[in-house]
Amino acid sequence: MPQPADRLYTKEHEWVKVDGSSAVIGITDYAQSSLGDIVYVELPKPGAALEQGKPIGVVESVKAVSDIYAPVTGTVVEVNGGVEEDPASVNGDPFGNGWLVKVTLADPNQAKSLLTPAAYDDLVRSLAH
Amino acid sequence: MSQAGESRTALYETHVRLGAKMAPFGGFLMPISYSGILEEHKAVRTAVGMFDLSHMGQFVVTGDGADAWLDRMTVNDVATMRQQQARYNIFTNERGGAHDDTIVYRLASRWLVVVNAGNSAKMWALLSVDPRKPVAVSLDDRTPRSALIALQGPLSVRLLAPLADVDVAAIKYYHAAEGTVCGTRAEIARTGYTGEDGFELFIAAADAQPLWERLTAAGAPLGLLPAGLGARDVLRLEAGMPLYGHELDEDITPLQAGLDWAVKLGKADFTGKPALAQQKAAGDYHRIVGLIMDGKAPARAGYPVYFNDKPAGDIRSGSPSPSLGGRNIATALVPAAASSPSTKLEVAIRGVRHPATVTALPFYKRKT
Repeated sequence: MPQPADRLYTKEHEWVKVDGSSAVIGITDYAQSSLGDIVYVELPKPGAALEQGKPIGVVESVKAVSDIYAPVTGTVVEVNGGVEEDPASVNGDPFGNGWLVKVTLADPNQAKSLLTPAAYDDLVRSLAH
Repeated sequence: MSQAGESRTALYETHVRLGAKMAPFGGFLMPISYSGILEEHKAVRTAVGMFDLSHMGQFVVTGDGADAWLDRMTVNDVATMRQQQARYNIFTNERGGAHDDTIVYRLASRWLVVVNAGNSAKMWALLSVDPRKPVAVSLDDRTPRSALIALQGPLSVRLLAPLADVDVAAIKYYHAAEGTVCGTRAEIARTGYTGEDGFELFIAAADAQPLWERLTAAGAPLGLLPAGLGARDVLRLEAGMPLYGHELDEDITPLQAGLDWAVKLGKADFTGKPALAQQKAAGDYHRIVGLIMDGKAPARAGYPVYFNDKPAGDIRSGSPSPSLGGRNIATALVPAAASSPSTKLEVAIRGVRHPATVTALPFYKRKT
């Protein structure tokens, strides 16, 4: 499955959709599929400072605990309460309703360090073999 | 993901073809899940699930004195077993800790000892060099030429009855029969590790793949799903059954694991008996308890447990429980003072303590 073209990616399977100085963060379809049935999501609180590469929360499936890493440095402005209430929505719609947090970016240029959709697609293909 | 070094069961190709998520377990590359742990769990609780358990060690013990010899190494009675009976048992060390937990089957003129995959090499070493082994006793590790397919769930009898040449409905719980399933020679045991009715079919490795296909086809109308070790672990935890390395190990005795019913201190001397007798008399030992988390965060193996604001032990197993509506269940090893049902404990999850309540095991019991 091709990756949505309107966002950037990390090697840890997060996605970032940048809009000016703000961004939405989630985990990819590959990530949710690898985890299996997601039963618990723990996210930072609004106002929390995120630092690129540092863990900001967890996504748990029945058997696995997976850290979520901040793809960018910034401040949390909104948390998706929907996925905390219904963690399975991350499985169902990881790129849409299954988003995790919205942040204001400390440095909009930082996103340039992330993987393009094509580069992330290559990564996922390499992991499939 | 390195796949070097792991053995493959006779059903490996089948699992790969079914798209199973595979991971190393007990020295084998095993299916963790196929369609998803929750769906597989549901199939076992409401219909029937099929497991490849060919990684488990299968030791055949024959010869005069085999029963008395096994009795000297284990906590439960062996010699009193009748033919076609199965019994849960634990091989213990001198301190009363568990070398392994096993099911011993008494079949026609032989004993089958089924050991955990991860303990198979250790158990083989232990048994094969034991100085007390009578000269007449022979040991055979038949694991490499054998397979084990488990059918577990309330519809297991309905699935198996028309396929077997013995009356499987008449096989009592923890008993076994020898016969054929779909024409395949099998030891058919009414045992399992899920808390449901079910069967374990011990067969030749060469028969595993065709039998799996036949059972898949026959089970489809009943809702049979292949189920992996992920679902199996949740099912056994709900059923309050210990998993070696978690609720039992070389340092956790069967008494600590709450398996007092299997520890026959009245039988003649066995390895670890003095230590277990002493522990039982003293009474004040750390023990495995069931926990239900009050909140939504799952407890996982290794998380610290607090009682009265002090460190008291750790989580041994933990998972959300589909049979309890998704409540988070766990086992923990805690002091006796913290082990009574309704005791409030705390579990540290990523540095934050979350309340939990001690609950009598099992978490789930099937309606019979």
